[in-house]
Amino acid sequence: VSAAEPVRAAPRPPTRSRTPPATHAIARVFGLSLGEMLWSRRTIFMALVVGLPIVIGAIVRVLDVLGAPRTVGDVTLQGPAIFGLMIWAFFVRFVVPVLGVFYGTSLIADEVEEKTITYLFVRPIPRSAVLFGKYAAYLVCTSFVVLPSVMVVWLLVAPVGSGSLGATFPDLLRDLGLLAIGLAVYGAVFALIGTALRRPLLAGLLFVFGWEMFVLFLPGYLKRFSVAFHLQGLVPHAMPADSTLDLLQTLVREVPSLTESLIWLAAIEVGCLWLAARVVSTREYVLEQ
Amino acid sequence: MTRRTRYFLIGGALVLAAGLCTGLVAYYAGGLGPQGPDLDELSYLPREASTVAYADVRSIMASDVRERLRRMLPAGEERDRLNAELGIDIDEDIDSVVAGFVGGAPSPEAAVVLARGRFDQEQIEARILQHGGTAEDYRGRRLFVFQSQREKSGGVAFLESDLVALGDAGALRQAIDTAESSEDVTDNAELMRLVADVRGAHDAWIAGRLDTAAPGELPEVIRAPLAGVEWFTAGASVDEAVTGEVRAETRDDLSAQQLRDVIQGGLAAARLVSGQDKRLAAVLGSLQVAGSGRTVAIGFALSPELIDTLGELTPAPVRGRGPATPPDAGR
Repeated sequence: VSAAEPVRAAPRPPTRSRTPPATHAIARVFGLSLGEMLWSRRTIFMALVVGLPIVIGAIVRVLDVLGAPRTVGDVTLQGPAIFGLMIWAFFVRFVVPVLGVFYGTSLIADEVEEKTITYLFVRPIPRSAVLFGKYAAYLVCTSFVVLPSVMVVWLLVAPVGSGSLGATFPDLLRDLGLLAIGLAVYGAVFALIGTALRRPLLAGLLFVFGWEMFVLFLPGYLKRFSVAFHLQGLVPHAMPADSTLDLLQTLVREVPSLTESLIWLAAIEVGCLWLAARVVSTREYVLEQ
Repeated sequence: MTRRTRYFLIGGALVLAAGLCTGLVAYYAGGLGPQGPDLDELSYLPREASTVAYADVRSIMASDVRERLRRMLPAGEERDRLNAELGIDIDEDIDSVVAGFVGGAPSPEAAVVLARGRFDQEQIEARILQHGGTAEDYRGRRLFVFQSQREKSGGVAFLESDLVALGDAGALRQAIDTAESSEDVTDNAELMRLVADVRGAHDAWIAGRLDTAAPGELPEVIRAPLAGVEWFTAGASVDEAVTGEVRAETRDDLSAQQLRDVIQGGLAAARLVSGQDKRLAAVLGSLQVAGSGRTVAIGFALSPELIDTLGELTPAPVRGRGPATPPDAGR
């Protein structure tokens, strides 16, 4: 090698990227958050909320075994009708929105309140991965509590009277799908509220028990900006087509079509999650001293 | 993920999986819940039967509204005639009845009625022979035939110790042939799907194809909306009240929607016409139209008071007609 030849710098060893892929980051946050979510104080509340329908289902079954009348007014209720009403009254109108409020609003707000959000945000992962990981944990946590509860209620109530498990099985599948969609959409809405507002729980409760109930009775298009209206659109397709459906049709004056409901719910879900991710990525969280 | 979190998820998944498996088994086996009594009588109905009907006579007779129904229903000439000719008392001797119709519109010639209950075979045989019936053994079963003036032959067959078949002699022979063969109406998957839907839920029901069962002489205004209907079921439960449902399955969603509109329109018109008649308004109020997709359903719930109202609205039936008339046979 002559001295005139320029000395070439040895190639630098490739530096390892310190930022893990987004999916890996989401999975890590998911694993961390799931345990925290399941074994928090909210679990007691959740157990009470989903345990109540099971207790009522057991009482209905025992009364049926003992031969108690199942007549309401002039109508004798059979197992499928009772199950349909429980799905509507307990799960769709109460359990799903309430769990959405309590868990969805806490996804980021809890970390802010406990001043631990800094530890997550200084990790070399996108901030949005924190939100998506926590949202996935919320979905798994609530689904694995609510859906088994529905299953137990179905096993208890569907055979009451002249009902049968076999005949109501397709309705059960539709109910499970309806509730899973409800949990996902409400979770996305309250995740947005939890990231954007300072008092998210209060705002969430006002949304569920104020706006959603009030707007359903308003004429015009405003009701389309509620989750409950579009979930109602799925209910007639999931409920057994007997007295349950008739009763619900008297309660629900305007029912959107299945396709319209699904499109709106998907738009709300994607839109809210996207907005929540943007808020988390850009907002400066000031922790109170 | 901690161990207890993992256990929790596994527990939840197991509950879901167990429920789904139970539901799947129940769905394909058609059971795990009250599915009504066993219907061994179906083995006597041919595979090509278009309509099957069932009545739990014992339950209906033991119901609270029996007397109210009795006042409403026709005079019971056939019941009196059956008692006089065969010595069979429907009220006391029969537990349940299964009827099957073969071919087109339901008619006595195409029907086989299978009555299960307690029968005094010797007394019934003596009555039949006394009224001019002829006895024969057909494939090991006792068959009695009445030859009528209209070249139609009615008959009675003792199929089992507690099962009697009534109907046209040819239909009775076909029923016995069907029982001897391995092909019966339970091989008719579509009809049995409807039967499975109604059999556990009602004390009396009927299921069949409407395009073969609907009488051709229906008025056009009724026949036109029914043109799209393929299958129908109807069932009623009799307890303190009478509740039930008539359900139709159409060829497509559009036909179902049109039929729903026609029924809703008809009910609205009836309510308008009923005016201030509270009794008629109450009867109409007990009807509810439901259904989605290809299904149209009309549910009804008749309280004891409504049954009385219906009795007042319908013309008074002619009770009895004296001694039973002699049968056609042997004239």
